Amino acid sequence: MLYALCEGVGMFVDFFYLLKKVGIPVSPTSFLRLQKALSMGLINSVDDFYTGARAILVKSEKYFDLYDQVFAHRFQGAELKEPSLVELSEVVRALLEDWLKDPKMLADILGIDEKDIAKLSPEELIQYFLDRLKEQTEAHHGGSKWIGTGGTSPVGHSGYHPGGMRVGGVSRNKSAVKVAMERRYRDYTQEGPMTPSQMGEALKRLRNMVPFGPMDRVNIDETIYKTMKNCGEIEIIFDRSLKDRLKVILAIDNGGWSMDPYIDLVQTLFNYARAQFKDLKTFFFHNTIYDYLWEDPQRRHKPHKVDEMVRLDPETRLIIVGDASMAPYELMATDGSIYVEERSGKPSYERLKFLAKTFPHSVWINPVLVEYWPYTPSIQHIREIFPMFELTLDGLEKAVVHMMRLFP
Amino acid sequence: MPQKNETKVFSGASKYVLDDELANIVNISMALEMPLLLKGEPGTGKTMLAHAVAEALHMKLIVLNVKSSMKLIDALYQYDTLTRLNDSRFGDSKRDVSNIEEYIRMGKIGQSFVSEERVVLLIDEIDKADTDFQDDMLDVLDQMEFDIIEIDKTIRAKYRPVIVITSNAKKDLSDPFLGRCNFHHIAFPEPDMMRRIVQVHFPEIEKELLESAVRTFYRLREIKGIEKKPATRELINWIRALRADPDIRTKDLIKGEVPYLGVLFKKSPDYVVAQNAVCMEQRA
Repeated sequence: MLYALCEGVGMFVDFFYLLKKVGIPVSPTSFLRLQKALSMGLINSVDDFYTGARAILVKSEKYFDLYDQVFAHRFQGAELKEPSLVELSEVVRALLEDWLKDPKMLADILGIDEKDIAKLSPEELIQYFLDRLKEQTEAHHGGSKWIGTGGTSPVGHSGYHPGGMRVGGVSRNKSAVKVAMERRYRDYTQEGPMTPSQMGEALKRLRNMVPFGPMDRVNIDETIYKTMKNCGEIEIIFDRSLKDRLKVILAIDNGGWSMDPYIDLVQTLFNYARAQFKDLKTFFFHNTIYDYLWEDPQRRHKPHKVDEMVRLDPETRLIIVGDASMAPYELMATDGSIYVEERSGKPSYERLKFLAKTFPHSVWINPVLVEYWPYTPSIQHIREIFPMFELTLDGLEKAVVHMMRLFP
Repeated sequence: MPQKNETKVFSGASKYVLDDELANIVNISMALEMPLLLKGEPGTGKTMLAHAVAEALHMKLIVLNVKSSMKLIDALYQYDTLTRLNDSRFGDSKRDVSNIEEYIRMGKIGQSFVSEERVVLLIDEIDKADTDFQDDMLDVLDQMEFDIIEIDKTIRAKYRPVIVITSNAKKDLSDPFLGRCNFHHIAFPEPDMMRRIVQVHFPEIEKELLESAVRTFYRLREIKGIEKKPATRELINWIRALRADPDIRTKDLIKGEVPYLGVLFKKSPDYVVAQNAVCMEQRA
């Protein structure tokens, strides 16, 4: 039996905690389940154990690699590699997600007071975790460096609250790690920019994006059905008369990593909803729009002249998704584009105005939360041109209502 | 619920090449009576696995194709009011109109519960439904029972079905959902595995054709800028097309020609990119 092989259950417990330590979200329930599988005699070799334990404990392929490393380390004596920064931030993300559900537990694990945690800003927390993890892998540290209290900042706009967490100051001084932080927080609070888990809800919001005419068509099938349900009492059901389905243009800022978490999300969202549109075109741009929009995400091969957009149906709904955060000159200067080939002499500001005029039903959707808009001048300017909504469930709902107004 | 100790062990089926890893996971899931959640690139055989399990263990397969608008109740049962009204008006059926139970029809999950033998229940593309559906469904599958409100009756599973759930989603499903499933991600097969898969589908295939088709296939998967890479399903269909056409010679394949490119690349932008790449290769 494998038990003998692994010097009893203790080894499994070690293994379990090691998995947890490197950041794979393993639940105690699943661990018990693994024990059950062992006691049922389903697992009879290390190979069985490898696949069995993975299927039971690890619920996402993104942790498979980490699992492999831990497994090799624990069961084959291979060295556990010192994690690189990228791996570490992956670890931090996983840990945070788990821990933030329970700030008290987080405080316990870190051995500090819940109130002290509140004083740490997100980047300090991240850094703190990273330091801690490094210490764990180096293993010679006693753990006296639990917290760097020297640099804690008071709860400000970018504060962290055990009661209701929220990330602030996201549009300034972003680091890639912090982007990760952002997403985890928001999964937890259900506020803030949309997360993949809200996809279903978001789709429901988009369902309102159907055109409507007056309610003047008799739906015969439904009428017969309702009448029968009423036991013969006639009930006539009217439908709205059909109108052509909507055309939608989706323009996504896929420039820097500040938008990265949202590109896939928005694209998937609209692709899912595609069936209800007559036509869905997706374009890409970086920061703001100059002479061209691009059909390819690399923004190199398939340019589409903004001037030519005027040929499209003005009833088209133009949805721009971007953080609208950039240096003011990018928006205002005649040669604002950071790309040399886009120097037509028209500032982006004018281009945006042109688009807003061409498509009266247009909106700008911004993953930056409303309360931080006033801090970024370029957001202010763009808001003067496009009605702007935040990329949240509520924001999306409002944006849909706005686009569906009969008279823009 | 009567427990029948199944000693059946899954080890592959006639049209499905199973790696040891997956076989092990399927067997553990069956023994632990937990749903098995499968993720992986489209066309890597997630759905096929359930078919293969059913075939190999001689069990009936019940497929629930999840749709975005689906409500959990649709998967459980339906109360057919229309037929009942009809019967009450015309009275020419054998059903007893005062007995609502005669107008309850089982949905796919319901069918798998009332079945007189252990079945395989495939819940296909769970990611299409919203999170509530997913969580509620797992509740039902956990409890192995549900209520029919209209007749105030609880349906309990006679035999706990073998449950396979597939998901195409890049995103993860909800935590409570994952907590109740075993998980496996089907990686894209290595060329060696792929050769075996092809051979299972075409036992008569000439070695040369097999080699060059598989090699061409993996080369085409390397092309950059493709949205939907061809997967196992496409390869099988492509080889079928190649074999059906008497004019195609294996030599041409080795030379770098790729006939029936459209079978491999189904999206028109992808097709154009692939075609260009193939032309470039030939010239080089």
